[in-house]
Amino acid sequence: MFVGRMIQRELRSSWRRLVFFFICIAIGVGAIVTLRSVIHSVRQAFAGEARTLIAADAVISSNREFPAELTTRITARLAEAGAQSTRSVELATMVRGEAAESRTRMVELKAVEDGFPYYGRMTLAGGQPYDFRLLANGGAIVRPELEAQLGLGVGDRIVIGGRSFEIRALLDAEPGRRLGAFSLGPRVFVSMADLEQTTLVSFGSRATHQRLVRVPDAALDALVTALRGDFTDTFARIRSYKAQEDDIGEDFERAENYLSLVGLVIVILGGIGVSSVTRVFVQQKIKAIAVLKCVGARSSQLLAIYLAQVVVLGLLGSLMGVALAWVTVHTVPGLLLRGATPGVTINYGLTPSAVSQGVSIGLAVSLLFAVVPLLDVRHVKPSRLLRDDSVREPRDWWQLAAIAGVAVALVVLTIWQAGSWRIGLVVIVGLLATAGTLHVAGLVMVRAITPLARSRRFAVRHAVLQLARPGSQARIVLLAVGLGSFFIVGVRALQENLLQQFALDVSTEAPDMFLIDVQSDQVDAVRGAIRSVQDAGSPEPRLIPVLRARVTGVEGRELQLERYEDVRERGSLAREYTVTFRPALERNEQVIQGTFWSDAGPADAEVTDVSIEESVALRFGIAPGDLMRFDVLGRPMTARVTSVRRVNWGDSRAGGFMFVFRPGVIDKAPHGAIGFFKGPVDDKARARLQATLVQLAPNVSVIDGREILQAVKGVVGNVTLAVTVVGSLVVMSGLLILIGAVSMTKFRRVYEAAIFKTLGAGRPLMTAVLTVEYGLLGLLAGTIGAGAAVGLTWGISRFALDIPFRALPGLTGGAILATTVLVAVVGVASSWDVLTRKPLGTLRGE
Amino acid sequence: MPADAPGIAMLGDSLTAGLGLDTPDTYPSLIEGRLRAEGIARGVLNAGVSGDTSAGGLRRLPWVMETHPTILLVALGGNDALRGLPVADLRRNLAAIIEGGQQGGALVILAGMEAPPNNGPEYTSAFREVYRDLAREYDVPLIPFLLDGVAGDPALNQVDGIHPNPEGARRVADVVWRALTPHLSRLRSSS
Repeated sequence: MFVGRMIQRELRSSWRRLVFFFICIAIGVGAIVTLRSVIHSVRQAFAGEARTLIAADAVISSNREFPAELTTRITARLAEAGAQSTRSVELATMVRGEAAESRTRMVELKAVEDGFPYYGRMTLAGGQPYDFRLLANGGAIVRPELEAQLGLGVGDRIVIGGRSFEIRALLDAEPGRRLGAFSLGPRVFVSMADLEQTTLVSFGSRATHQRLVRVPDAALDALVTALRGDFTDTFARIRSYKAQEDDIGEDFERAENYLSLVGLVIVILGGIGVSSVTRVFVQQKIKAIAVLKCVGARSSQLLAIYLAQVVVLGLLGSLMGVALAWVTVHTVPGLLLRGATPGVTINYGLTPSAVSQGVSIGLAVSLLFAVVPLLDVRHVKPSRLLRDDSVREPRDWWQLAAIAGVAVALVVLTIWQAGSWRIGLVVIVGLLATAGTLHVAGLVMVRAITPLARSRRFAVRHAVLQLARPGSQARIVLLAVGLGSFFIVGVRALQENLLQQFALDVSTEAPDMFLIDVQSDQVDAVRGAIRSVQDAGSPEPRLIPVLRARVTGVEGRELQLERYEDVRERGSLAREYTVTFRPALERNEQVIQGTFWSDAGPADAEVTDVSIEESVALRFGIAPGDLMRFDVLGRPMTARVTSVRRVNWGDSRAGGFMFVFRPGVIDKAPHGAIGFFKGPVDDKARARLQATLVQLAPNVSVIDGREILQAVKGVVGNVTLAVTVVGSLVVMSGLLILIGAVSMTKFRRVYEAAIFKTLGAGRPLMTAVLTVEYGLLGLLAGTIGAGAAVGLTWGISRFALDIPFRALPGLTGGAILATTVLVAVVGVASSWDVLTRKPLGTLRGE
Repeated sequence: MPADAPGIAMLGDSLTAGLGLDTPDTYPSLIEGRLRAEGIARGVLNAGVSGDTSAGGLRRLPWVMETHPTILLVALGGNDALRGLPVADLRRNLAAIIEGGQQGGALVILAGMEAPPNNGPEYTSAFREVYRDLAREYDVPLIPFLLDGVAGDPALNQVDGIHPNPEGARRVADVVWRALTPHLSRLRSSS
């Protein structure tokens, strides 16, 4: 009874102040719920994208027909998992118009059944909806390039595998096209039943047989594992949308890991916010508790009163936080995404799991952090009313037990959030280490500025004394703000590093058409043909000479390989290498040992020069000065290693070669060229170029990578956007939490400020003292936090995300400055009422 | 003729280069071994380049002919088929290679290839005809199909389903050896 009434009264009487605590909890919880929800939505979008990339949950594929026995096995497994499946076959074949004089063209045929695709959409020209009936009974859907190359259109008939098909629609985009796949011609879709009427799939055919699988997510992993077991010693493979083996898959994985880490960070940030609020709340109540003790309240009753208050506040604050999150989630991504890539399909919304996590963390953290200080209630003596200094009682077992309990609870919470023991423990250890470092660094830095306490300027002197005083808030704020800025800078820096990694060259200048097998006597004509159709401002087409060579011997200081048989024992050194020659380094190369030639060598040299790639040097112990013997198309050639190059394989615009020769000798050997260039934007012009090149040099294969590059661009765009949205939200909510943490110190400072005013300090002087004090605090916290963040980013880039680390001095410096200004402004602003109001009210209120 | 002139030069693609195989396992090395066993100490020049088409082979021919081989085995066309290059170009390139080889004083042996059935019946039959027609036209010995009995058999090929494994390469060597046997005297006489 008493407890209930007390809670009611307390809540009513200190309503204004409580609103503030309450808002702080709301912000912490709101941040957690918002970010977790956004992350969840983004993940779903990723999963959606990843599924679209293979058009299914999983794909079973084989480069030969599935034996009957295996088919039975697969069917049984699929039935067991409650999965659906649809078959498809991909093969390269020749297509021509029905008229006898029509040209013939190689295409990439894909035969599908009704039901394809499970994910993603077939997009047809003119917005026509895709329907399997377009393919059934002799229908074909073709890419517009084919239409242009054969001079055919919708309604015309083409011959595939001796059968006649009617072109019923033109294809804009298809799901499930393998990224980075080598494409020999435009895509043509037909139905599986029609393909089976031809002899295209028979003994000796080169075809990929696929089964697209749709399966409930819960059963997916088990199905994949089971089938992988069945496929041992067969040619069949299974791949789920989760395990993309290409670069895009890696990018997805990195983005996912990033989001997991950010999710944890935000929980910790929110936790810091909530805990600092709770602490101050309890400290505020110490005097009221002393009064209650005077009038005979028991410790247990008091504990119940304040714990219940914390629960009520925590719950209300958390709910308010959920409301806040709802508003944020429905407005902020929209604002951030305005004007971004169209076609991004991320549906942002609150998720139940995020809401329950947020609310329980809000409640749990506020309770956990309230229990330890509240246990002090038992030692509060009525004498506290008269004496204000904090009398330290020796810690009792109850309190130690409570601290241990809180620690365990925090560990469990973190592990729950991290989703794994290992990551959870790593994060906790990292956090404790960081907190410890911050604490020690705080002590050291506070000591370092102590000499300033003898400054002749009152404001500086007093501000420093405030910070260095025993029992001051400085170390707590330092910890909270330091951790806060640590996480914000860390998340931001990781985001930068991560996005840098995505900078797969998707600029408009990037080459999107590729040539293979250009003969040396065709290079000039091919180059001319390309130049004549390229859009103005496009970079020169690159045609790189290539030839094949084998290493047959090495005479080096470390390595002596007399005969080819010796080379063979060195494994991959004996393989057929594609080599090139040129007079200069490429943009993506740097010499790390020796020197690279700057011109062509003499044509009659008996020993020519060669530059080797770093990995060749490292793996085989070959160094500049060593002699290498090569077999170039059946002829021996000796070359001296003159340099070791490091190639940035990520930037492969100029290709990457293990061996680069000095021109002079090797260029007399017959060689071909490969080429890449930016094709014209106009579809018709591209098709015309292909036709011209085929006529000019029929052996040259033109690979048009635009469709694939565009798909990649879309995906990379989505991932980038998602990471940016989440990163920005972290920074925003982190700032709010920091503001909350700093404002909390106001309640300590208010009283002192009021006393100074009573003693005659003017408003400008008080403002100066507060500015210097909070500014110093911010500077210290910012420096420690940002410094630690650089360490964190390094560790995570290196060990968790597997990306190269870049220091970002601008970001770090900016963060320190921003923290200083922010803490100073927030500190002064939150004490504004003290500065403007008469001190009497404050003194009485306390 | 230089003293170290190869007995046989094999102008080919990855099948000849032996993609995925150790050099002693490639069919040109196996043939060299069999020559030695027959008491013919003449080298075999492996002029196989992975990925090469008939157009590339034609450009490499002078480089190979400079070594003055006694026999020129022409084993090209597989990549032309895989990339669906026009059959007419294959014919023109192979014809030029045969002429060049003959002018260089070599006995030319033509190894036939098959286009895979997925290229369509029109392409595969026209492709097959090229080798028969050229062999008749230039009166050169023809190996009807280099991968006879090997293509399509999982036990004789690497996982890619295209390139023979060591056992497959031995079968290819058998096929080539059968075509060579009638002409071994040439290698003896000129050595």
